[in-house]
Amino acid sequence: MVIAKNIVKTFKLSRQQKREMGDGFQGNTIDAVCDISFTCHPGRVFALLGPNGAGKTTTLRMIATMLKPSSGSISVAAYDTVTQSQAVRENLGFLTGNTGLYNRLTPNEMVRYFADLHGMNSADYNTRRDHLFALLDMEAFANRRIGKLSTGMKQKVSIVRTIIHDPDVIVFDEPTAGLDVVTSRNIVHLIRDCRDAGKTVIFSTHRMGEVSLLSNDLAIIHKGQLQFNGTFEDFQNQMQTSTLEDEFIRIVEQA
Amino acid sequence: MKPILTILKKEFKDITRDRRSMMMMFIIPMLLFPLLFTIAAVFTARQDQKVRTKTLVVALIANGNAEAFRETLLKRDDLKIREDIAEEMIHQFIRSDSIDAAIRVDEQFDAQIADLQRGQIHLYFKSSRDMDASRNRLTSLIRDYENQIVNHRFQRLALDRTIVDPVQVRRHDIASPRERIGKSVGGFLPYIFVIMCFMGCMYPALDLGVGEKERATLETLLVAPVSKIQILLGKCGVIVLSGFASIANSFIGFFIAVMLQREIVARILDALQGMFEISSILLVLSLCLPLTIFFAAALMSVSIFAKSFKEAQSIMAPLNIIIIIPVFIGLLPGIELNAITSLIPVLNVSLASKEIFAGTIKLPLLLEVYASLIALAALSLYGCARWFERESTIFRET
Repeated sequence: MVIAKNIVKTFKLSRQQKREMGDGFQGNTIDAVCDISFTCHPGRVFALLGPNGAGKTTTLRMIATMLKPSSGSISVAAYDTVTQSQAVRENLGFLTGNTGLYNRLTPNEMVRYFADLHGMNSADYNTRRDHLFALLDMEAFANRRIGKLSTGMKQKVSIVRTIIHDPDVIVFDEPTAGLDVVTSRNIVHLIRDCRDAGKTVIFSTHRMGEVSLLSNDLAIIHKGQLQFNGTFEDFQNQMQTSTLEDEFIRIVEQA
Repeated sequence: MKPILTILKKEFKDITRDRRSMMMMFIIPMLLFPLLFTIAAVFTARQDQKVRTKTLVVALIANGNAEAFRETLLKRDDLKIREDIAEEMIHQFIRSDSIDAAIRVDEQFDAQIADLQRGQIHLYFKSSRDMDASRNRLTSLIRDYENQIVNHRFQRLALDRTIVDPVQVRRHDIASPRERIGKSVGGFLPYIFVIMCFMGCMYPALDLGVGEKERATLETLLVAPVSKIQILLGKCGVIVLSGFASIANSFIGFFIAVMLQREIVARILDALQGMFEISSILLVLSLCLPLTIFFAAALMSVSIFAKSFKEAQSIMAPLNIIIIIPVFIGLLPGIELNAITSLIPVLNVSLASKEIFAGTIKLPLLLEVYASLIALAALSLYGCARWFERESTIFRET
């Protein structure tokens, strides 16, 4: 489970950033996330929606302990992201659409590296590795340099790297951004599989199609503030427009 | 400790598969000295042979004087004497390379010599040509002729030549060959080692810092259950290994270069063997270790701060020049290792290496150098760790 309570993230602006904000902007800081609260449950998919620059990635980075909230708190699998960050990371998998890989390593070496960082013993690693490699049909290129693999193959390596330690909570930050249809479908299947396995799944996107396909719960964020937080059914019930996309745009514009 | 070793092992494997880093770690340090020495030896030998065997074209205006000298010149196979060039044309002929040099004997020369006075022989040459060969060879011939005249005068006056040399200076240099060569070669070597060390650290630092940012692999590492300090130590460990390997390979390259050049070995082999005692090498390497840690931490700080590979390189390039300055100061005459220079980073390594190779290092100063270098390494690692902890450094692009 992931519980975010009144989280705020304030960034100090550089001179260049202040210039880019325009003459009307006053102050030295900007709130990327303002007083957000939500809960993500095990066995459910929580979608975080918002246009570019809404604060989705900042929120997910706070969940993943990469950033510390300026105020408020987040607990992941019952661990606090600030005071128990290591325990949080032990129970977390994090995948982004532009996740990089080490091109000079092979998939085997890459996955083993992250398994070692998660402190997996050899027996557990071998069982889990064999299962995932077979599931994603990766044995054929397991010992080839990652730099020589296709985008789809690389995405499979990223997926296995993310879930090799069987985390309770999995965060996907715009996981299908820039991917082709086939690779995107792999991700969608993975999210479903994780949900069905009882994991807590959070994913951010700005594609309404993926939201309707996958999400059980939904939050819309714009300019760092929550515009909607509830179940997907709640969202559908309160719609004032005919399509999900129009409704999303309406909410964002209203904000 | 285990996560640090895991990161170190992985990063090392990754780096050893990077051609650019391997070039800086092994190929360039190992080939640099043999190449430098070979090129220098071949070039010098060729030039030397060319200068020694070349037939010089020399204009002679004897004005009927110094007949013995004239005959000596005419008999030589390595000189072509031209007596058809007028005095006022000498400059023009030399400038246009029609002749290599000219000798003009004063009209009163013979008379002055006969009166036991001083006569004048003028030598015209262009010093910028052929390593000043014309001047050297002709001066030597003039000196021989002068000696003949002096001997003749002593005979005529029935005097012993020692009468004009009442004091004989006999020099007794108590500096051993190791000291003499150590002070010169030992000063030059750190110049190469420090630069090699810096370059050896630079490419892995770029790859493991900003390279991770650009490849978007840093986020995945930050989400792994390891602390930032563990990540940093693992990465810095590989950078230190790389920098240190560059230095060690430079030593090997230098040794190979010396062995390949037999002429050098014949002349200074004893001194070099003394210099390259295993204890000297280990001492110098041990000095380089904290310096390498300092470089690794400093370069990693730059790398992790930069938004792109290009930005990191543009910051590191001037650092390269800043590093050279203290090493260069160490080469200047009069700059010695003392209580103050022992505290100046890089310069202290340069000066201490010189003393170690010469076998004249003093223990208190060596300890001071160690202490200052270890403090510097610890401080730079601490600073780098603090820097790495900052969100604004890691996510500077956002």
